[in-house]
Amino acid sequence: MPRAAFLLLTFVWALAHATSASSQASTPAAAPAPPSEVRAWLLRIHDAASRRNFQGTFVVSGGGIVASARIAHFHDGPNQYERIESLDGRQRNVYRHNDVVHTLWPASRVAMVEQRGMLSSFPALLHTGDDGIADWYEVRAEGSERVAGHEATVLAIRARDGLRYGYRLWAERLSGLLLRAEVLGERGEVLETSAFSDVVIGIRPQPESVLLAMRKLDGYRVVRPVLMPTRLEVEGWTMRQLAPGFRAVSCVSRQLEAPSEVAGEAAAPPVIQSIYSDGLTYVSVFIEPFRAERHAKPMFAVMGATSTLAQRQGDWWVTVVGDTPPATLRIFAAALERRKP
Amino acid sequence: MTLGDLDDKAKAALSALADGEADVAGSAAACAAWARDDRLRADWHAWHLIGDVLRSDDLAADPRGDRRLCEAIRIRLQSEAVVLAPADVDSAEATPRAATADGSWRVGSRSGRGRWAAGGAVAAGLILVAGTFALLRPDDLAAPALLASGDAAPARVASRDAVPAPLSPTAEPSTTPAMAGARSPGAETATPPALVADGKWIRDSRLDRYLEAHKQFAGTSALGVPSAFLRSATLDTAAR
Repeated sequence: MPRAAFLLLTFVWALAHATSASSQASTPAAAPAPPSEVRAWLLRIHDAASRRNFQGTFVVSGGGIVASARIAHFHDGPNQYERIESLDGRQRNVYRHNDVVHTLWPASRVAMVEQRGMLSSFPALLHTGDDGIADWYEVRAEGSERVAGHEATVLAIRARDGLRYGYRLWAERLSGLLLRAEVLGERGEVLETSAFSDVVIGIRPQPESVLLAMRKLDGYRVVRPVLMPTRLEVEGWTMRQLAPGFRAVSCVSRQLEAPSEVAGEAAAPPVIQSIYSDGLTYVSVFIEPFRAERHAKPMFAVMGATSTLAQRQGDWWVTVVGDTPPATLRIFAAALERRKP
Repeated sequence: MTLGDLDDKAKAALSALADGEADVAGSAAACAAWARDDRLRADWHAWHLIGDVLRSDDLAADPRGDRRLCEAIRIRLQSEAVVLAPADVDSAEATPRAATADGSWRVGSRSGRGRWAAGGAVAAGLILVAGTFALLRPDDLAAPALLASGDAAPARVASRDAVPAPLSPTAEPSTTPAMAGARSPGAETATPPALVADGKWIRDSRLDRYLEAHKQFAGTSALGVPSAFLRSATLDTAAR
């Protein structure tokens, strides 16, 4: 009898495995989406974030940090408005009207006024189908889940190589608004999460509330950082090779001082910042003259999904920052070459 | 002042640390005392056990649990894939070692290991678990202060090859490479870049500036301006 029982068990086990294998092979949901579909999804997420009116609480956590902010986004004809009020740490309000961004620190009465012209460089490539995202990422739909009180479509984005992180995105089912995003490490561990804890979509736009706050700068010390467009070659540098999938998107020359320090310190030499993107993530390469008092030691830092590599290169100090695995930063650091003495 | 007074003081400091009420200097002093004094370590353990029992009877089950936990963590660490490796300045010009065929990040080469051993760095292997074991690693607590003064960055190194340091809470604290570098200026050129993990401890305004400048270009992502912008604007708050 025991022998028969054993045979029966073996049979059941074999049957179970055969069934599971065949069901895995025939599940259509597991197939990666074709590039056109990936593009459509990303465009939808992008458009929803621009063209919907919504308000909610947004929480970002990663690397031991949790930060939350109250957020309102309005869309009115060709204009976009945003109001972001920090709920943790030092009070800080950010107002955005299209490319103009005001950051106010009420406690220290400092306001930073920026023109962020390069804010939206990449989506244009999405429209033309020239983004290359599907070459480097594999996107799959993973059914739907409820996030912040809304039904959301879940997208799993897996990096095809070790030079970028994966993502899991929750896009609201009707509007496409990104309700939650996770950055995933090599082994699928969550490095960083950003999500709405609550959000109301389709509110009445109130752009005047943003514009009013942007006009009220009385009593604030206004700092206007200047970003001069430039090219790496013009500055005497060249990038011998880019990490696979990345392309140069912009390059600026800028001061890198925090607003509170601008008055006190002697003008530091400008820093060159060159930006590279693979469509979903991006890397900044900073180049500045080496100064012994400032650039004491080579450094490597990881905070959540963001890594930083800083090291000396001859008379220069190179800092590479990116929301990528460290390997990617090292490719950029190694490929940077001085052409002009 | 009698020896008893000193004991009481050290106990009070350790108690403050256990309750999360100690400042940086207090934490460092308490940790140093903890590392020196067997009795303080026993107290520390007893307090946590009391806390555990108060929270749940299950946690009081077996006094050998601690040791088993440490053993288990050590075994898991050894089998864990390497997450981060010390940067190798000397070979920065050469093909980056990091870009291995499977794209993973590892310290595997003999030469790399040799360099690290020469730098006296091998013992630092387990500090990646600093988040969990921060309070058990006295030397670590001094690191943020060093970073703030610009002397050195704390080293957090994870390496399969460099994991021999025991995880037991009663182990002697080991010196991290960055600490060694900070103490001997001559070693500066030989010191590999320090590795910093765990954002909570990084409070270097210079690093913040790069991060902030980087985040300004958050729109270079297909997820679009608002999504990336919201993320960076929210996160900036914490970085300040």
